[in-house]
Amino acid sequence: MIEWLTAGGTFGGGELVYTGGPVVIGIAAIGALLVFAFAVGPGLRRRIPEFGALGLGLGLVVLVVARPVWLAESERVEPGRLVVLIDASRSMAVAEPGGSTRFDAALALAERIEPTEVFHFGGELRAGAPLGATLDGTDIAGALQALSRRYAGEELAGIALISDGIDRGGLIRVDPAGARSLDPSVLPALPGPLTVYAAGSARDVADVSITHVVSGSFAFLRSPFQLEVLVERSGMAAEAVPVTLTRNGQTVGTSTATFDEAGRGRAVFKLSPDAPGRFVYEASVPVAADDAVPSNNRMSRVVRVVRDRVRVLQVCGSPSLDQKFLRLFLKEDPGVDLVSFFILRTQADLRSGFMPDEISLIEFPYRRLFSDDLPTFDLVILQNFDYEAFFERDSARLLGNIADYVRAGGALAMIGGDRSFDLGKYGGTPVADVLPVTLGVSGAAVDEAAFAPVLTEAGARHPVTRLVAELSENAALWQRLPSMHGTNLTGGAASDAGVLLSHPSQRQGGAALPVLAVRQVGLGRTLALTVDSSWRWSFSEAALGGGNQAYLRFWKSAMRWLVGDPDDQAVVIELPRENVEPGESLQVTVRVRDAGFAAVPGATVVGSVSGPDGEVPLSGLTGADGHVGFGVPTATRGAHRVKIRALAADRSELGSAETVYAVFTRDPELDRISADAETLRALADATGGAFVPGGTWSPPLRKEAAGRVVTDRRESALWSAPLLALVAASLLSLSWWFRRRAGQR
Amino acid sequence: MKLSPTRRGFMGAAAAFALAGCRSAHAFGPPTRVDVAELQLSRGTLSRPNAWSRLLLETVQTTSVECTPRAVQLEPDDPELFAHPFAVLVGNAELPALKPAAREQLVRYLSYGGFLFVDDTSGDPDSPFDRSVRSLIQQCFPTRPLTVLSAEHSVYRSFFLLREPVGRVALHRRLEGVALGSMHPLLYSQDDVSGALDRREDGLDLHACVPGGERQRREAVKLAINLIMYALTSNYKHDQAHVRQLMQEGRLE
Repeated sequence: MIEWLTAGGTFGGGELVYTGGPVVIGIAAIGALLVFAFAVGPGLRRRIPEFGALGLGLGLVVLVVARPVWLAESERVEPGRLVVLIDASRSMAVAEPGGSTRFDAALALAERIEPTEVFHFGGELRAGAPLGATLDGTDIAGALQALSRRYAGEELAGIALISDGIDRGGLIRVDPAGARSLDPSVLPALPGPLTVYAAGSARDVADVSITHVVSGSFAFLRSPFQLEVLVERSGMAAEAVPVTLTRNGQTVGTSTATFDEAGRGRAVFKLSPDAPGRFVYEASVPVAADDAVPSNNRMSRVVRVVRDRVRVLQVCGSPSLDQKFLRLFLKEDPGVDLVSFFILRTQADLRSGFMPDEISLIEFPYRRLFSDDLPTFDLVILQNFDYEAFFERDSARLLGNIADYVRAGGALAMIGGDRSFDLGKYGGTPVADVLPVTLGVSGAAVDEAAFAPVLTEAGARHPVTRLVAELSENAALWQRLPSMHGTNLTGGAASDAGVLLSHPSQRQGGAALPVLAVRQVGLGRTLALTVDSSWRWSFSEAALGGGNQAYLRFWKSAMRWLVGDPDDQAVVIELPRENVEPGESLQVTVRVRDAGFAAVPGATVVGSVSGPDGEVPLSGLTGADGHVGFGVPTATRGAHRVKIRALAADRSELGSAETVYAVFTRDPELDRISADAETLRALADATGGAFVPGGTWSPPLRKEAAGRVVTDRRESALWSAPLLALVAASLLSLSWWFRRRAGQR
Repeated sequence: MKLSPTRRGFMGAAAAFALAGCRSAHAFGPPTRVDVAELQLSRGTLSRPNAWSRLLLETVQTTSVECTPRAVQLEPDDPELFAHPFAVLVGNAELPALKPAAREQLVRYLSYGGFLFVDDTSGDPDSPFDRSVRSLIQQCFPTRPLTVLSAEHSVYRSFFLLREPVGRVALHRRLEGVALGSMHPLLYSQDDVSGALDRREDGLDLHACVPGGERQRREAVKLAINLIMYALTSNYKHDQAHVRQLMQEGRLE
């Protein structure tokens, strides 16, 4: 009530301030004087109470018009703020000797410091206490700069920095000689004294880490390339460590890395990739019981293996027109590395009387070719080649080598002639097991009648015989090609072979005799062409005024299909890079082509990317160019495998493909994990602060003068106080009562 | 007799052949075997009637190549020419001018895998045939002149190792050729190679070889066989494996 009457004024201390305008106050005073002068009359002595009450009442009215305000001010001092910065990078998660992590120690220190405010940082400063040591890119100077900007113009009682000192920002500079020192130019003017607490112990933690896997991003098929694994150790006395290298999960070699005085070592692997494609090479070192960071003991890298050229072995039992034209094609193709061996002379030719020294023949190195050298070829062509005269007692082994080569991913083509198929006595041999046609024909094994091969339904769509994209045009082209002069007779197609060309009249087992057949055997492919006059497809076409495109396309397509090059499949996944940084944008393009290698628009492409974090589905439709693009995840380190299937509009499968990429597994935060107390000490020195070694305690520096003064200001508008109006009204009423009592009007 | 490593290496391979025994050559009929097409431009171009059958027989007897020992006579513009990838043109007199269609077919024939051996049988260093051949080649291949083959050319080692090419005469002791890509599909001799091959019906040689006699004829036969082998295998003998081994064995410098 009293506070209401006095408009909140306590009048304990302060000063009275008039807030009314002087002109208004002057007018009010003059008005009051005029009223008073008008009221004053005879009997002044007897009417003193009346005039006294009137004068006081008018005076109060003038006072109200002057708008008096009671202003009361007081001051108090608050204690200064203490800010804590906690390093929350992944290196803080390293377990110290004893078991607890640096991060645990940092939280305990922060609690003991009793800060007013808490921040944490990795690459940038964030408010609040950290939930875990999960951040990248420790930038101590950056965190201090951000703090300085945040408290610009203010003073802090103290700043406590808790870190292991492993800085990935610009705090440390390295001179040309390799010496490390703190760069004071990156440090800001701090708003308070800095106390630096080391979170790591003075002792090195025990760790072996793979810091780099060095190789080019691609290598050539069957050409040696070097892959170097760099290893570092700390806190342990091991002199060497075994390094294991795997390719797509299969061990390809083990080597030993011997550490130098600085604790660095390297292991070198010399590799010769035997298949094209992308492969994940992963290097690993054993994890010791006290290894602080097991996750840095392995590292992956994807190497793309490409063919520089298709390496072809052409072995021919007799120089012939068929051999001539095939060699011309192979020799003129810049993408082919051709090794030819032609049997120029047989025992039957020795009667001619010429001495061996006159002849340029060389020994046929068949043992080496069909054993050690065999895996170096992408494609082996046995053209009218009779193995028996050469292989002798080694026949089973060498023919077995050829079959094994095919199953392991090699390609084999057998071309007809009087030394091929059953005429070459391949029946019952390991080679017969991988051919697309069956052997063991009894009686005549050859039909010398001319015939025009018939394009089968499978052949109409197969890339080997799809010489032009349009089906009807392709069929017409095959009909136009010249006839063949004779064929080897076989037992028909193997059960899992595809017949692309067949004989128009010869039948075997109820089906047309295959003339051209293909087969997938294990990882490899085989082709059988039972004629020796395919050269006529080249030369006879030229006779009609055309070129030899049909012949060239046929053999080029056959070669590409046989070697199964990843880039020559119906569905191809293209990657701009095989190795990417975490978080880097990566777009894969899927290219879909039909059997004639024409773009397939509107194909449904489905698949997935599987990586360390699980599987991400992919789905899309190809555009007019037969391409569709997908962004793929790169957040998590490790190898990622992309698997794709392409479906035509009728849901039939057009093909599938898969590839790999690696999100670089080197984690900079865990590259160097021993706490760097020297950097922290230098930081404290450079800022005039204090350094508290790990495992010890000292309270943070404080600047008491940085306590903040807070002013309390209170205003009471007296002119609006009801008490003032009440008193003025009472006085004027009392004056009026005295006046009436004195008989005045 | 102790064999040299070179000979032992060769005989090792030869022994392997022996185990195969003598086998008859099936092939798939005459069309798939090698024969010779004689280009017929005037009477003189058919002046060596039996030379080519002899060459094909010698080739069959000496090499593994399966031949049909025959020569077919064809006009240069006959499409049948494309059924016979080995062709010859011989003569000793001026050739009649070829019709454009014939020239065009000849160029196409050589560009797509055919082979033509041109043989001047005149024994004259400045023969009318030589002039007309050079003129014809210039018309067919205006940007690809005849050039003398180097001693390292594949034709000199395609089967026999030859030091110099000779025929019935040994005036020029060289071959010239037109290069298309890595091959010379047209080779030209002015030493009458076909004259050294030609013989009578009873098998006796028709022409004496001068100045080297039968030794020279033997070299001419070797050259002719090399021509067949070169036409079939092109630069096969320049493949790295062959060059390396021949050099290791001292048969090639």
